[in-house]
Amino acid sequence: MVAELIRVSLLGGIVAVDRGAGWSLMLSQPLVGACLAGALVNPGPEWELWALRVPLMVGAILQLLLTDPALPAAQRPRDTATAGVVGSAVALLGLPRLHPALAVSGGGILWVVIGVAAGLLSAVAGGWFARLNRMAPAAVARADALALSGAVDRFERLYWGSVVRTFLVGAAWAWGGTILFLWAALTYLPKIASALTARRAGVLFATLLGAGVVAALNAHVTGRRRAVRWALLGAFVTVFVVRGLASAGP
Amino acid sequence: MSGALRRGDFARAAARCFHIQALLNPERMQGLGFGFAILPLLRRIYPESGPRGAALRRHLAYFATHPVLAGFVVGTAARLEERRAAGEPISDESIDATKRALASPLAALGDPLFWVTLRPLAGLIGVLSLLLIPPPTAGTPDLRVLLCPLAVLLTYNAVALPYRLSGVARGYADGDRPAALLNSLQLSERNTLFERAGAFAFGAFLVLAGSKLDFGVSSAGGGAVQRALLLAPLVLGGVVGAAGFRAWPGRPVEVALAALAAGGVMAAWV
Repeated sequence: MVAELIRVSLLGGIVAVDRGAGWSLMLSQPLVGACLAGALVNPGPEWELWALRVPLMVGAILQLLLTDPALPAAQRPRDTATAGVVGSAVALLGLPRLHPALAVSGGGILWVVIGVAAGLLSAVAGGWFARLNRMAPAAVARADALALSGAVDRFERLYWGSVVRTFLVGAAWAWGGTILFLWAALTYLPKIASALTARRAGVLFATLLGAGVVAALNAHVTGRRRAVRWALLGAFVTVFVVRGLASAGP
Repeated sequence: MSGALRRGDFARAAARCFHIQALLNPERMQGLGFGFAILPLLRRIYPESGPRGAALRRHLAYFATHPVLAGFVVGTAARLEERRAAGEPISDESIDATKRALASPLAALGDPLFWVTLRPLAGLIGVLSLLLIPPPTAGTPDLRVLLCPLAVLLTYNAVALPYRLSGVARGYADGDRPAALLNSLQLSERNTLFERAGAFAFGAFLVLAGSKLDFGVSSAGGGAVQRALLLAPLVLGGVVGAAGFRAWPGRPVEVALAALAAGGVMAAWV
């Protein structure tokens, strides 16, 4: 598990730099982070099917839920970048360890719900943790002084140091968050195992999906000119294509 | 005495624009990042450390624009610095005013395009890929785990990367005509296009999600009421989501946790 945690923390650092330092390549989107974490965390050959399916669904639900069209400055400081990574890693690392108590049923939906819940809680706690990376006013004054004295090399080192710091804070949270929520899952889930039925997991999954659909509606249609018309067109075209493909099939 | 800027200098500055927010702070915003990004160009323009340090100090002032488009301002400022180093009477204030005059409209046009429209669209395309790509048959690998994130990355970066890679050089070349430069970027037109694409993709997503995830409704026995009850959690999530996004705009995590809590209450009841 140590090797997997190291890989998860490296991925957490990369997505933190993508979100925090300005890469903005969208590596920090929950779907991308969750799928990459799924590729890096291997619970073993007997879990191969779930190792791919669970991160995909965790990433897709988090992607729908956390898609917010508000500008970054208008959003609460939540660490949505590592949410997919931590959620996916907790689900995959918890799956084989809790299997005797929590059987995989309903297509692994229970583990998708556990991963999404871990990802959401991780986004909140990670937002608090990321405050460690806030820049002190003294660093601004130091950068000024270095530039004024012509020490541009030292200014560059100061700047690169901040990139490394962003990486380390993200990596530390991905590592610590995964351990924290995995510990919580291993400790508390067996105590409520009898209540965690496939039916109840399905109810939770559907509720999250309903909220995700509304989040997507909020992001793509609400308040946009002629968006309802375009959404209806998209729906009609898809119905037409799906029916056409179905009738052309064997 | 200054040296002529080379293609490699522009490439180095463009690469540094990818880290422009590493020292983001409320006092200067991206000011320190701007200084860091323009430094390879200043090194060429001012070979002596004294004037180079003074020029760097000028560029550490408050600066805020959209990170994808920051390169255009870096290139424009480098052109002004070059002319100043060649002896033209260009003041500190005039360089700062030019930067602000370009940075503000770039932020006003870039934020809606990249943050408000393209980023959510990229995420939706990734989720849509999950519904469109067929699940693996026995013995074949599940490529969706690779293709879905790839769809997110390609959708966003196919639009954003050309701006980021060419920004510094184009800002340098067209910096004297900022209005023409802004028009040539077609940010507003592309925003309209991607807004429509996002709404279209949402309509497609609804149909595909509805056809793939029927929650057992199609196979359920009983009457319409029983079938409708199967969709109750989905409706509950939608209602909590709608109320939550209205009450707490900009707080998707809190809205999602509220939906999870509401789902927990319903799950305990079933």
